[in-house]
Amino acid sequence: MTEGEIRELCETFFDAYQDKRVDILERVLADDCVVWHNVFGRETTKRDNLSRYHDSYRGQRRRTYDDRIVNTFHDGFVIQYQLRGVMTNGHKGSLWICIVARVRDGQITRIDEYMDSSKFAAWAGTEEAKP
Amino acid sequence: MRKDWQTLELCDRFFDSLERRDYDTVDACYAPEAVIWHSHDCLYQPRSENLAMLRRGGETQQKVRYRDRRIRVFEGGFVQQHRIEVTWANGFEGRMDVCFVAYVRDGMISRAYEYFDTGQVDRFLPPREVST
Repeated sequence: MTEGEIRELCETFFDAYQDKRVDILERVLADDCVVWHNVFGRETTKRDNLSRYHDSYRGQRRRTYDDRIVNTFHDGFVIQYQLRGVMTNGHKGSLWICIVARVRDGQITRIDEYMDSSKFAAWAGTEEAKP
Repeated sequence: MRKDWQTLELCDRFFDSLERRDYDTVDACYAPEAVIWHSHDCLYQPRSENLAMLRRGGETQQKVRYRDRRIRVFEGGFVQQHRIEVTWANGFEGRMDVCFVAYVRDGMISRAYEYFDTGQVDRFLPPREVST
């Protein structure tokens, strides 16, 4: 894949995630795609991720994948971005995330996701009020 | 023109010197204007503060290893995924998965972003002594 194709694949993937286009996610993720999450320390499958996609939006009105910084290499890309969320109660939260992805023949074959789980409570607005 | 081997060599030199606690070489890997961003506070740490932090860390760590290094070079920098393994002075062995994204200028790291999960800090730092 060319650098332009890899960059376009990256943007298509994140636009689809933002716009809840599971049909596009189905297309851009290879069937054997593996997704590794640093916060769980384990790998999940394409099927695991897509089947839980709508559940992951529970309690959230909107998510946007902002301030994307994308860099490509011969077999993939690294993206740094800010995930902004608006919860159904109006609370707004942000997470800073980095993903390293491998690609093949127009599809993503592996995703390594790095997040900070200590920020999850602030993101969701469930953090106890500090004195 | 891209010279990936130079960027790869810089990456190896940087992490190898951290393992050896050769902070003069670490210093030389940083451009004068270097800043280091960390995902736990989302702040850019100035070069001098980062070097001081690394030196302090070296005093309390018996051994540091960057395992399972996976490096990819891109135009203007590199990304390295690794597992940092630290043996602390009290013998506690900590580990953490890290993603390090570095932007390079004139063969030096000018800006770096370090992503890790502080929710797993208990696996990385030794238990704190509780004062009575």
